[in-house]
Amino acid sequence: MFDADAPLALLGVCLTLPSAAGPVEILRGVDFTVAKGERVAVVGPSGCGKSSLIAVAAGLEHPTRGEVRLLGQDLARIGEDGRARLRRGRVSLVFQSFHLLPNMTAEENVSTPLEIAGEAGATGTARDWLARVGLGSRLRHYPHQMSGGEQQRVALARALAARPELLFADEPTGNLDAANAAVVADMMFDLVGEVGAALVLVTHDAALAARADRVARMFDGRMLQGA
Amino acid sequence: MAPLSLRFAARELRSGVRGFRIFLACLALGVAAIAAAGSVAEAFRQGLSSQAREILGGDLAVTQRQTAFTQAEQAIFEKAGVVAYAASAEAMAQAPSGERRLVELRGVSEPYPLAGKVELEGALSLSKALAPDGDAAGAAVERPLLDRLGLKIGDRFMVGNLPLVIRAVLVSEPDRLSRGFALGPRVLTRLSVVQAGGLLEPGLPFGVTVRVALPPGADLPAAKAAMESALTRAEPDMSYRLTDRSDAAPGLRRLIGELEYFLGFIGLASLVAGGLGVFGAVSAHLEARKPSIAILKALGAEGGLIRDIYLIQLGLLALLGVTIGLAVGATAPLILGAMIKDSLPIPALFALYPWPLAKAGAFGLLAAAAFSLTPLARARATPPAALFRRQLGGRIGLGAETLAAGVAAIGLAALAVVTAPTPLAAAIMIAGVMMGFGLLWMLGAGGAALAGRLRGATRGACRIGLANLAGPGSAARTATPAIGLGVALLSAVVLIQSSLLTQVLQVAPRTAPALVFSGLSASQGPGFDAALAAAFGRSLTAETYLRAPFASGRIVSVRGLALDRARIDPADRWAYDNDISLSAIGPEPAKSGVFEGRWWKSDYAGPPLAVVTREVAKGANLKVGDSLTLEVLGRRFDVRIAAVRKVDFAGFGANFPIVLDPAALEGADLRNVAIAKATPAEERRATLALGRNFPGVNVISVREALGAAAELFDRLSLAIRGAAAVAGLAGLLVLAGAIAARAQARAKEAAVLKVLGASTGQILGAYAVEYGAVGLIAGVAGVAFGYAAAWPVVVVVFQATWSVDWAGVGALILGAALLAAAGGLMAALQALAKRPAPTLRSE
Repeated sequence: MFDADAPLALLGVCLTLPSAAGPVEILRGVDFTVAKGERVAVVGPSGCGKSSLIAVAAGLEHPTRGEVRLLGQDLARIGEDGRARLRRGRVSLVFQSFHLLPNMTAEENVSTPLEIAGEAGATGTARDWLARVGLGSRLRHYPHQMSGGEQQRVALARALAARPELLFADEPTGNLDAANAAVVADMMFDLVGEVGAALVLVTHDAALAARADRVARMFDGRMLQGA
Repeated sequence: MAPLSLRFAARELRSGVRGFRIFLACLALGVAAIAAAGSVAEAFRQGLSSQAREILGGDLAVTQRQTAFTQAEQAIFEKAGVVAYAASAEAMAQAPSGERRLVELRGVSEPYPLAGKVELEGALSLSKALAPDGDAAGAAVERPLLDRLGLKIGDRFMVGNLPLVIRAVLVSEPDRLSRGFALGPRVLTRLSVVQAGGLLEPGLPFGVTVRVALPPGADLPAAKAAMESALTRAEPDMSYRLTDRSDAAPGLRRLIGELEYFLGFIGLASLVAGGLGVFGAVSAHLEARKPSIAILKALGAEGGLIRDIYLIQLGLLALLGVTIGLAVGATAPLILGAMIKDSLPIPALFALYPWPLAKAGAFGLLAAAAFSLTPLARARATPPAALFRRQLGGRIGLGAETLAAGVAAIGLAALAVVTAPTPLAAAIMIAGVMMGFGLLWMLGAGGAALAGRLRGATRGACRIGLANLAGPGSAARTATPAIGLGVALLSAVVLIQSSLLTQVLQVAPRTAPALVFSGLSASQGPGFDAALAAAFGRSLTAETYLRAPFASGRIVSVRGLALDRARIDPADRWAYDNDISLSAIGPEPAKSGVFEGRWWKSDYAGPPLAVVTREVAKGANLKVGDSLTLEVLGRRFDVRIAAVRKVDFAGFGANFPIVLDPAALEGADLRNVAIAKATPAEERRATLALGRNFPGVNVISVREALGAAAELFDRLSLAIRGAAAVAGLAGLLVLAGAIAARAQARAKEAAVLKVLGASTGQILGAYAVEYGAVGLIAGVAGVAFGYAAAWPVVVVVFQATWSVDWAGVGALILGAALLAAAGGLMAALQALAKRPAPTLRSE
């Protein structure tokens, strides 16, 4: 049974993807729930399905079987555009490889989701958030003009500027050196707490995972504990 | 504030149009070709219109053949305005040395010319050039006659029995364009001289024209209508052609229209070939933008917003490409016109003409829409999961974008058909291009699949090349149809040109008569045969010589009904628009070609019968037993069709469109025409010898006429080949686009190959194999399609013998393969220029 208030609930989710060598089972009946404001770390070896879990949970990928409820909505019942509308301002993502829009400045990158959501004062909000992540002086800089740590801070600002209810972070420090990783991790936990968002954090870093309220362990497409 | 999609599109465009160079080049090239063809044609049309009065020689002109104007007719002309009469006939010119040549003798009355100016060398004015010198009339002659007969200004010569003195070289006459092709150099003299020379006797092949200059301010259509009705009242049976200055050179206008369409069609084909470049550039751009699209979707952007962002960008870029094309297409004729204006045979007013540019712009925008909207559908459907799995692409389903692309493609074809002078032919050509395009695409895909199978049997560089050819980014699927289409057009032009030139220069001299003799009276026949045999130095046989009665006449009505020319297919209208040649032959000739009905018995003496060729029959859907009303030598009479036959007009025989039974023309003083096969030496001997006993017989050298036709055709085909090369260039642009789209992947591939120990030579070889194979497939397939397109044109339309210029065809295939391989080598060099370590680290 689902907790009706849970921002995220997965029940018996399977994901099988085609490949040249035949279908590959990525997720094998995953049950997973995240409560409001809860910070959950998902850990497990490479290839166990952690990133795919985020893709399915955020509505970026269709599960082969099972049910995904995001912010109370059954994702199977809404189309792609409907899922996009659902994410607007309420669900955000941060990726290991940043995925900033290369042709947009830092300010534009942060304001983009706000503009898509139709929020007034998007630019001002973007500037505020960039200042909060220590990049107030880099507003007009493009992603290729910034270091990895700076890019990830822009991504964090972009993810949180709309004050989402749920943030998915896929190895957010995986591409960073130790110093930058610590800065980004601190910022992420502080800011998530400040906006009151729930967090689903996929990581290999045991120390980072330990900062979460709960740790869920995955292996070979299955949730072993902490679901 | 600007809409979201506009703001996002503007942000994307800030990175410049570097990735869209091929997109812009493909669009600009096709649009420029269409715009240039249209602008040049319009320049000629405007040039003709601006000098319409000079070209016609007045405001109105009335022409009739084989009969002089009556007093009543002349009174009607002279009442309408100032008039100038002219008469022309073919006749033999003879130098004092005995050298002879057929000329067009033209006599003009004062105050010729009514409009424009006769350009002369060696005389101050026309009246001085035509002034007599003793018993010889003054004449202005074209330079080729001086060269051929070894004459100079001041020399005397004869035309028929007329003594003339050369007072000037005739450079040009203002009304020459409205008079058409002449079989020999022109000789201009006074009308009274031609009349006195006996060349305007009834039945002789001459034409008379009166040109009328209307009083200032006269209403042209009203004056034309008044003259038409007055002539009909005065001479109800008169067979004449009345034209006004608004339609001064209809044949030329038609030719310009058809050439414009043909060149424009090649431009359109370039646009279609370049369309693949547009498709490839848009696909590559959207592929590169896939992460951004996925991010935007992850951030909450709907598919519609994604589509609009890129639609705005593509729309702006399409406008830019079309604008560049229009600028080039509009200015190129201006520059070219300024350079060659003085050597053009037709007046031209080079300027900026909006209509051809608007048409070219519409073609460009429709092509851009047809080829770029489909990739847009894929962008809209790109799933956000592409962030995790780059290979994911959006599916192209039936949606607004694909529907719009379909509508644009239909619009493109419809516009091409609607603006064509002959919509049916245009529709066939467009259907052919589309079918060829589809088949070429399939061949490209097939080539890629075959390469995949073959690569297992190869090693090293060849294996890498074939693997790339079979891979997902294979140039075979995009570049093959584009290059193939260019090669198909070029090879079709080369094959048509070579077949027709072979026909003119090799086949026709073998099968057609070398000489045609006209102006023979029936009584001169036997003596002429003997004189010719003596001149040739051999006896005349049925295989090499034929003499038959000859008259010209016209078809007045069919099955008792007046002719409705508009309902006759333009291709067959020649037999109903003009005077055609007729003969009267009793016994059925050998190889008469009759395939329907029967030839009359040699002693037939019943109601008049006729045998018509299948071209004449097809024009008015004539069947055996149908009746025709003919007008021959001023007499109208009905004939019944006894048979329909097939003749080879380019061959040797009694190839008259209509043959009557001898009784039908009994009593008429029919002239004879004779044809003969002869070597150049026999031709020269006969021309000289006949001057002594048969000075009035015209000797027409078919060899010379064919040579002139070949020269004219060669000039025309140069323009057409140039235009076809544009289509080839579009193919190369698409190849460049395909290479550019894979540049990054190539760099990585080259880096990996280097890391694995591949030598530079091996990497270069792999790329040369890959792209060379693309060129080879495109070249062979293109030539095959060019062959399929050219064959019916040569054999069915021109009814010529099919011959293949293997050297030209081979050069095209080799050229396509080498150019494509060169493109591959350039791509390889570019990839090899990058250091492998940074390239690999950038992953």
